[in-house]
Amino acid sequence: MSTSTTDTARKPMIEVEGLRKSFGSNEVLQGIDAQVAEGEVVCVIGPSGSGKSTFLRCLNKLEDISGGTVVVDGFDLTDPKVDINEVRRHIGMVFQHFNLFPHMTVVENVMLAPVESKKASKSEARQKAIELLTRVGLAEKADARPAALSGGQKQRVAIARALAMNPQIMLFDEATSALDPEMVGEVLQVIRDLAQTGMTLVLVTHEMGFAREVGDRVIFMADGVVCEQGTPEELFGNPQQERTKEFLSKVL
Amino acid sequence: MAVAALLFGASGAAADTSSSSSSSSAVEGKTFVIGTDTTFAPFEFRDSSGELTGIDMDILRAIAKDQGFKVEIRSLGFNAALQALTSDQVDGVIAGMSITDERKQVYDFSEPYFESGVQMAVAKNNDDIKGYEDLKGKTVTAKTGAEGETFAKSIAKKYDFTVKSLDQSASMYELVKSGNAVAVFDDYPVLAYGIAQNNGLKTVTDKVPGGSYGFAVNKGKNADLLAAFNDGLAKIKANGDYDKIVDGYLADPTAAQPTTFWELLGNSLPALLKGLKNTLLVTGISFVVAMVIGLAAGFMKIARNIVVRGISTTFVNIFRGTPLLLWAFMFYFGIPQLTGLPINIWVAAVLTLSLNSGAYVAEIVRGGIQSVDPGQMEASRSLGLGYGKSMQKVVVPQAFKIMTPSLINQLIIMLKDSSLLLAIGFAELLYQGQQIYAANFRVTETLLIVGVIYFVAVMLLTKLANFADRRFNK
Repeated sequence: MSTSTTDTARKPMIEVEGLRKSFGSNEVLQGIDAQVAEGEVVCVIGPSGSGKSTFLRCLNKLEDISGGTVVVDGFDLTDPKVDINEVRRHIGMVFQHFNLFPHMTVVENVMLAPVESKKASKSEARQKAIELLTRVGLAEKADARPAALSGGQKQRVAIARALAMNPQIMLFDEATSALDPEMVGEVLQVIRDLAQTGMTLVLVTHEMGFAREVGDRVIFMADGVVCEQGTPEELFGNPQQERTKEFLSKVL
Repeated sequence: MAVAALLFGASGAAADTSSSSSSSSAVEGKTFVIGTDTTFAPFEFRDSSGELTGIDMDILRAIAKDQGFKVEIRSLGFNAALQALTSDQVDGVIAGMSITDERKQVYDFSEPYFESGVQMAVAKNNDDIKGYEDLKGKTVTAKTGAEGETFAKSIAKKYDFTVKSLDQSASMYELVKSGNAVAVFDDYPVLAYGIAQNNGLKTVTDKVPGGSYGFAVNKGKNADLLAAFNDGLAKIKANGDYDKIVDGYLADPTAAQPTTFWELLGNSLPALLKGLKNTLLVTGISFVVAMVIGLAAGFMKIARNIVVRGISTTFVNIFRGTPLLLWAFMFYFGIPQLTGLPINIWVAAVLTLSLNSGAYVAEIVRGGIQSVDPGQMEASRSLGLGYGKSMQKVVVPQAFKIMTPSLINQLIIMLKDSSLLLAIGFAELLYQGQQIYAANFRVTETLLIVGVIYFVAVMLLTKLANFADRRFNK
C-alpha cells in the first residue's frame, strides 16, 4: 500500500486492453480496459455474474482469451510464443476453495512449484516453505495433511504456496468467500501484511470493508464491463454511476 | 480290427526294412508339435500324475522313438487342434480322428492306425431305452464333428429324435446322467473305457462298424513326418508293440478303483496347482500389459485432439463390444492363418486378456482422472507446472486412489475370465480340471475342488490388493 499520487509514475504491472471472453455464445467479458501499477492493490467488486472472477482468471490465462490483449510483467499472454508456465511463476493465485493438494503434506504443497521448476533443491525449498509457513503462522502444521486443517488454515497455506515462487503479483479469487465468518479475519490479516510489503495485488472480493481499507483502487464491474473505478473514498463515498449506487446500497 | 491290423502290419513290415533309413533320416532329431484332444479316453487323457497318456499318445511316442524324432504334445481340444493344424500352429494332429472324405480335402492322412465304430449308451438306471426305436421324441447327444454325431444324425429322422452336439465325452456323459439327454452316441472304445471307469452309463445296442482313425498333417505339408509315421506304424505293428498298447487299454482297461473324495483330491491336486500357477501367471502378466494399454488409452480419451480421442474410443468400443472368447480364437487361430506366422499360446492368451481388460481399464482411468476436482489442475497450472507435470504430480496420484477399487475388481474379473482360455487349450486351472474329470468322470467333485481353488485364490488376491491399497493410498 502506498500513496495514490505516484500511480502514473510507477511501472505498469498489468495492462489489459479490450479484453473479451466468451463461453460458447455467452460473452462474459465485453471489452475490459484496466491497468495495475507495480505495488498497487486493486480490489475488484461487483454483483455475481458480472465477470470479475473470469477477468482475474484471464490475468494468468487460466481462461483462454477470446479477444483483446493482456500484458503481465511485460509478457503478452495472447502471444502463442510466450511460455505461459514461466509467466505463471511470476503470478501467485489463491482460490476460493483453496485447492490444496490433499495427497501431499502442507509443506509438500508449498515446496511443489520450486522443486518441480528446478528453482530450488529439495532442502532449499523446504527451508523456504517453512519460512513462508511461519509467516502465515502455520509452521507447526508443516507435516500435517490439508484434511486436518480448518478452512482459514487451509487458505493461509494456499497463500504460502502461491508465494513460494517469489511472484511479483498475487491474484485472490474470493479468497474468503468459502470461510466460516470467524476465520475470515485471520486470512485477511495475511493479505493485509502482504499489501504492506509493496507486492502488486489484485483481489476479487465481497469484503467491502476490507476493499476500502487496503485497496489503492477499487474497480466495480457489472455485466462484463468496468462500470466505474476510483479510490475507495471516491467509489464508496461518492459513486457516479446508477449501477454502482444500486449495488452498494445492497451490500453496504 | 485285429485282422486288419495284422494284415496291415504284415504288409508294412515287408516294406519297412528298406525304407526306414531313408524316411527316418528326414525327421531324425527334429521336434514336431502335435495337437490332440483335451481328453478322449482311452486315446488321450491324463493319468493321475497329470501326464498325457492313452492309445494315441503311446502309439505316437512309440513311433517317434522308432523313427528318432521328438514330439511336443499340445492338448488343445478336438476342434481347436484341427483349427491349429489348419493355421499351421501344430505340425500334426492325432486325436482319435476318423478319416473322412471331407477331412481329406484339407488334411493329408496317415495309414489308418485304428478301426473304430460307434455305439449308443444310456444311463445305467435307464431301463426304458433298449434300442433306437425308444428314442422317439427324445434328445440324444454326440460329439461335434465326430463319427458318433454323423451316425446319430443319419438315423435321427428315421427314429425321430434330436441330436444335441457337445465338445467333450465327459460333458456328453454328464448330459445323459443328468437326464438332459437320454442317450449318447460315441466311439465304442471310448464308451467301453468310460463304462469301465464307472462313468454311470451302460450300452444297450451293438456297435456299428465305422471309420478308421488316422494321423493328419496339413494338406501338402510335413510329408516327411507323415512318411515317418506310416513307417513307424508298420514297424510297431510288426513287432507287437501296437497290440500291446491297444490291448493294454481296451482288452483289460484298468479296473476302476473307486477312490474316495480325499484320494481324488490328492491325485488331482498336483495337476490343478500347475493349472493355478498358469492362471496366476497369465493373469499377472496380462494385468500389467492391460494397465499400460489402459493408461495410454485412458489418457488419449481425455486428449484435446479429436483424432487421438477417436482412436482411443474406437479401441475401447471394439474390445468392450466383442466377447473375450472371440479374440482368443482370433489371436490363436485366425490371425496366424491370415499372416502365415504361428503364434505362441502365451502371446495369444496375454493379448486376449490384456486387450479386453485394457479397454475397461481405459474407462476406469478416464473416469478416475475426470473425477478429480478440476480445481486441482488449475491450482497446479497456476503455480507454473505444465500439463504433463500437473497430471503426474497432482491429478494422477489422486485419480489412482479413486481408481484402485475398480482396478482390483478388474484384476479379479480377469483372473476368472482367464478360464475361457481353455477353449484354445491353454493349460489354466479349469482346463486342468476338465482334463481330470474327462479321464475319471468325477465331474461334480472335480469342479467343486476347482471352484474352491478359484475362490481361495480370488479371496487371497482381494485381501492382498486391499492391503496394498491401504498401504499406498493412505
